[in-house]
Amino acid sequence: MTSEEIVARVESSLPDAIQGSAIPQGDAVVFVAPDNLQKVATFLKDDPVLKFDYLSDICGVDYLNEEREPRFEAVYQLYSIDHQHSVRVRVGIEEENPSVPTVSELWKGALYPEQELFDMFGIHVEGHPKNERLIMPKEWSGHPLRKDYPLTTETVTFSHNRDFKSDLVKSKPPTR
Amino acid sequence: MGLIEDAAETLETEVNNLKLNVQDAVEALDSEYAGSLYDTVLTTKLGKVVGWAQKNALWPATFGLACCAIEMMAMANSRWDSARFGAEVFRASPRQADLMIVSGRVSQKMAPILKQIFDQMPEPKWVISMGACASCGGVFNNYSIVQGVDRVVPVDVYVPGCPPGPEALLYGVIKLQEKIMAEAGTDKAKKRVA
Amino acid sequence: MSITEQGLLERDKDTMTLNMGPQHPSTHGVFRVILEMDGEVVKTAEPEIGYLHTGIEKTCENKRYVHVIPMTDRLDYLNPPGNNLAFCLSTEKLLDIEIPERAQALRVIMCELSRIASHLVWLGTHALDIGAMTVFLYCWREREMVLDLNEEISGVRMMTSYIRVGGVAKDVTRGWLDGILDFIDYFPAKVDEYERLLTRNPIWLDRTEGVGVFTREEAINWSLSGPALRASGVNWDIRKSNPYSGYENYDFDVPTQNNGDIYDRYRVRIEEMRQSLAIIKQAMEKLPAGNYKTPDNKVSLPDRETLHTSMEALIHHFKLVSEGISVPKGETYVPIEGARGEVGFYIVSDGTNVPYRVKLRAPSFMAIPGMCKMMEGCYIADVVGIIGSIDIVMGEVDR
Repeated sequence: MTSEEIVARVESSLPDAIQGSAIPQGDAVVFVAPDNLQKVATFLKDDPVLKFDYLSDICGVDYLNEEREPRFEAVYQLYSIDHQHSVRVRVGIEEENPSVPTVSELWKGALYPEQELFDMFGIHVEGHPKNERLIMPKEWSGHPLRKDYPLTTETVTFSHNRDFKSDLVKSKPPTR
Repeated sequence: MGLIEDAAETLETEVNNLKLNVQDAVEALDSEYAGSLYDTVLTTKLGKVVGWAQKNALWPATFGLACCAIEMMAMANSRWDSARFGAEVFRASPRQADLMIVSGRVSQKMAPILKQIFDQMPEPKWVISMGACASCGGVFNNYSIVQGVDRVVPVDVYVPGCPPGPEALLYGVIKLQEKIMAEAGTDKAKKRVA
Repeated sequence: MSITEQGLLERDKDTMTLNMGPQHPSTHGVFRVILEMDGEVVKTAEPEIGYLHTGIEKTCENKRYVHVIPMTDRLDYLNPPGNNLAFCLSTEKLLDIEIPERAQALRVIMCELSRIASHLVWLGTHALDIGAMTVFLYCWREREMVLDLNEEISGVRMMTSYIRVGGVAKDVTRGWLDGILDFIDYFPAKVDEYERLLTRNPIWLDRTEGVGVFTREEAINWSLSGPALRASGVNWDIRKSNPYSGYENYDFDVPTQNNGDIYDRYRVRIEEMRQSLAIIKQAMEKLPAGNYKTPDNKVSLPDRETLHTSMEALIHHFKLVSEGISVPKGETYVPIEGARGEVGFYIVSDGTNVPYRVKLRAPSFMAIPGMCKMMEGCYIADVVGIIGSIDIVMGEVDR
């Protein structure tokens, strides 16, 4: 099916659950609110014409710099092995107590990416068996991929702050 | 920002802890060392023989972390055979190794494990920091990579490159062998043995 | 948290907890598995990742597009051209530009060479874990030939950064072309040599047949991809289903097997090496003349000779070097068939010369929960074989 047909089928079957749709550069994209995600995902997986049985990826994006509401977004890439077409589901998530329901009952491959959503963005995934850190150390505080988390806390030394570099060298513990 | 202050505070306490650790270690080494054999029997010449034996049988511990590990494996293979320089077997257990080649980027989660493996190695031991990431953080200057493995373990030879070719790493091993021979029989070699 | 706080060490259980720690010769990188064992049988396998987390995705949000390419090299460090290609395809889709045919053919050759090199590392380390040390030495011997070709064309053995947005970095040399032709003549006999050592070896068959079985439905549900998925009977190769970079012009088979055990994954990858060689051969025969990068100077650097005479070329060069390319606002995802499976970059652009969000879809990351599911019920010795057969690379798992 082409992207237009996929989008049309989803919109006609679930008119209340879809917030909008788009076809950027030929990809089928569907916008969904977090409450409707499970309904839409179940439909996408079970509908025999669409049959999206393969979850490619779940990505989190923080749109803080764009200053748009909602701040976070979870992007689900789905693919159908039999029909060889793909769709992207974008779920906008609020900044206050960000949370999204899990799709890991439908696709077991969602377990790790959803845990990473929590680890990197702080988005709580309801129904996920393990809501704990995956990649960062367990005692880490902060969610690194948020835009207000700094990339580094160490000043990079350049020629304009040579004094900083010499302090750094003096305070380094001696090696053998 | 609260996060930056927290992170700066954590960094400061870690750095202070490292400084205290190093002070303790240096004081312990300065005191009486248990190697009484060195005191009474060994002369400089015998120390040189011991150094020669050590350098020709450096057994690396497998500490391949990332891309540099592939080039380390290439060094161990038939084209740049490290076995002809004595690094015959890569011991899986750090208890049986005397050289740790830190090959790859060390993340914050891995740093305590690096220290633990280094502590498990028996004296005398040497460390080669292979690659840019192990030497200074490399291309990654961010929250998750330790900016240089010498913040965690003392390093003897730094091998630059991203990744350094096996010939560069082999040159590093040869330089380490020269360092061992230069130190052999002197106080520096005695300090390596507790 | 210590092991006791995590509840992993309880006295009233009847299983043994064995930590296959991050430093282990057979975990193919810094991967930790906590095995609950009843004697020698593994009851559950709990993976722990993050020991190689490099923050590459966040670092890429501060780098211009051309600087992101060397970052992508270091993600899946056994298949750097594959990562480069995935990133460049996503960026080029947002930029909406055409890549000349010569550049596409060169990209295909680099990716297939890198696929062969990656499979050689897989075979060498996998066989070494199971006990066949000779294969390790043989595989690296051929890999050195591929790395010499990499060095000829880009200057670097592993992290070539050869594939750039708009085409490739520079044109080929006579030595590289001759080297590839030599490699095409030399390599098929070597694959036969590896097969002679392993495929009908009774020890290999005992260790790998029937071990770590994943059915077709399980493999799809647990988001496995690449050779591991094809060994379970799913005939899906992105080079055939969503062709990119001219793959539709080449004639090659996609090997699949049906049982989904370690032996089948081994068979699939060995055959993939042969098919990759066939693709390289066809690409070399049909290598079209022409530009090796797009003539659009807003994306690729102009030729150096034109800088002497053309003002526009000079200005474009200046803008590209100082500012970099500006990608229109949007988001896109283009999957490619990497050596380990489906690789893709989800790029969000905000219209500037720095990407807003770069996310790697890593096949090894998605495969880890499935891999640990496979380990349940196996002996401890099989754990090593399973990890090797899925071929995980921690650089792309932890990013």
